[in-house]
Amino acid sequence: MTIFPLKNKRPRLRLGILLILAVALAACGGVAGGSWAGLSTNQSGEKLFVAYDRSVVALNAASGAVLWEYPDEDSRNAQFYAQPVADNGSVYVGDYDGRLHAIDSETGTSQWVYEPERETLVGPLSPEAPDRVISGVALSPDLVFFGLGSRNVVAVAREDASEVWTFETDHGVWGTPLYLDAESSPDGTPLLLVSSLDHNLYALDPESGNEYWSLNLGGAAPGNMLYDAENQRVYLGTFGKGVVAVDLESASIAARFQTEEWVWSHPALDGNRLYIGDLGGNLYAVEIGEGTLTQAWKVTPTPEAIRGTPLVIDNLVIVGAEDGRIFARIAESGAEVWSTNVEAKVLTELISVSDEDDDTTHIVAGTDKKERLIVALNVTNGEGAWSYGND
Amino acid sequence: MFDLIINPFITILLFLYQVLGGNVVLAIVVFTVLVRLATMPLTLKQQRSTKAMQELQPELKRIQEKYKNDRERAAQAQMELYKRYGVNPLAGCLPLLIQFPILIGLYRAIVATLAATPLELLDLSGRLWVPSLASQVPLQSHFLWLNLAVPDPLYILPVLVVITTWLQQKLLMPASASSSGGQGDQAAAMTRQMTTIMPLMFGVFSLSFASGLSIYFIASNLIGIAQYAAMGRIDFKRMAGRVPEEDTPKVVDSEAVSADDAPADEMPKRREGKKKAKRAADKPARPQKAQQPAARPSAAMAPIVKPKRAGIRDTRAEPRTKSKAKS
Repeated sequence: MTIFPLKNKRPRLRLGILLILAVALAACGGVAGGSWAGLSTNQSGEKLFVAYDRSVVALNAASGAVLWEYPDEDSRNAQFYAQPVADNGSVYVGDYDGRLHAIDSETGTSQWVYEPERETLVGPLSPEAPDRVISGVALSPDLVFFGLGSRNVVAVAREDASEVWTFETDHGVWGTPLYLDAESSPDGTPLLLVSSLDHNLYALDPESGNEYWSLNLGGAAPGNMLYDAENQRVYLGTFGKGVVAVDLESASIAARFQTEEWVWSHPALDGNRLYIGDLGGNLYAVEIGEGTLTQAWKVTPTPEAIRGTPLVIDNLVIVGAEDGRIFARIAESGAEVWSTNVEAKVLTELISVSDEDDDTTHIVAGTDKKERLIVALNVTNGEGAWSYGND
Repeated sequence: MFDLIINPFITILLFLYQVLGGNVVLAIVVFTVLVRLATMPLTLKQQRSTKAMQELQPELKRIQEKYKNDRERAAQAQMELYKRYGVNPLAGCLPLLIQFPILIGLYRAIVATLAATPLELLDLSGRLWVPSLASQVPLQSHFLWLNLAVPDPLYILPVLVVITTWLQQKLLMPASASSSGGQGDQAAAMTRQMTTIMPLMFGVFSLSFASGLSIYFIASNLIGIAQYAAMGRIDFKRMAGRVPEEDTPKVVDSEAVSADDAPADEMPKRREGKKKAKRAADKPARPQKAQQPAARPSAAMAPIVKPKRAGIRDTRAEPRTKSKAKS
């Protein structure tokens, strides 16, 4: 056995190993921002709103030019990853400190900020850590509803940001709640639907937050819901490997469609078909039956996750994948039309915007690379139109 | 590469969560116990190496004093010493290096299963070896006042991390003998620094860790302390920096130190010792007294072998043990 003299280097060697370990732990273990950009448009489709890292940005949907940024550079002390929601001149978006911001959609100035009250023990010390707002918001005429990352749904007054009620769930609410007014609701009374990571779908009274009913979905539901007004159903993806169709009249599960891997988002609806992607890279077309959901076709364009909802436009089904590719498939058969590699993970929802000047339609997607945070592709051939970076 | 460790750890953690009634803290603690048990052979090897190195400290210090102006000779003498006693100075670090990926894997598994953010939850989706465990995802992250996916807002866990890490460090690195200066002091200073710096470092990191990770560190430290206690190796005096006088380093082979290494004024006695050692070498090896009485002895030292020849008295300082030399 060869033994070389270390003199007194042994303690230094051990200290060195421990320092390396500490650096590795620090690099691995801190709580990360950890999400993709929140992406949405205003009602006219002329503006894009992007929430990512420390700011919310409004872009010209046709060119990608920056219209405004919120907040000012001096005030950037929060992280934004939730999907912004624009309505009636305001943009609502939550941050990772549990606050909800109302922003003027024209100027980018703050209208109000809701900050939850926390119980304190001594000075600023509180047993309640700030919670994250990961979901988008739902809007009624006078209330804003949003979920919190670890648990609960909160309703806040649109006029003055005062808290109205809080409904407790057993785990986080990451999907955007769904508000149905009296006309849309099955029984003529307004309804607020909330899906949670605790595997449940809750139906609440929007005014009081009281529960009407709840339904176990068989798996965590982290994404948004799709409302099918014609059939009075909502469709959700779950980690129980599938899509669940919930009948709102009977408050029961009308049908299930089993997928091979977890489903994060809700399906896209086009006529009598649903289109859904799973986290294994599979893309499905599903026929809606009386009490059934039947596969029409299935393709596997990528081995990586398809996280967002497919976009159905011009007889094409378009999806983005974690491997950096955006695919366009024929809606009827699933055959490939084009595929573009944007060289960054595509995990956001896809949005279609029209450029009236040159009569083209673009597909807009968010990536995980700051220098190409938003990319726009021509819908007919997948060629790049413009991109926006957030350095 | 780490996926080979992380993915099974995630699966095991989710399984424990399922069988332990959905209690995340209990699942983390039980998992920590299992990992510590599995790495116990490495831990024991590390402890043995630490003990052996400690017992050689007086000899090392004497060599350093003698050859303080001749580094090459000192290095050579140290090599011979290690070789004769069969001690590998790296032996205490190798187990740590082997445990390193296991520690990182367990660490990442806890972060992944708590899945506090969308990206973390997305990452978890491809890591389950048992698909049916998806029904447990995501883990229920609330325990008492804690949201286990975010840092402790009351800073109680970081303080506990500091305290338990410091306690375990004191057990791992016993106090070095005092010396008149030189590199022995440097080693002692380095040891003291490690005992101080590492707990503080982990405490600072705990301020930004998910509190579930802090629970893992606390549980791991407490289990480590319990391991030492179960092996009867907790010495509170040594933890306080006071080493019992009766302890002397154990000398396995009396020929370990050659006559050339001894100070000149001890040469006659060294000759006598050498003769005894020759005779002792003909017999089954027995523990011998250390040649240098200045070092603090070890509490675990074996009984002293009595000199055989009449009239020869070992005038070196005798340890307070059961054996006594005949006059």
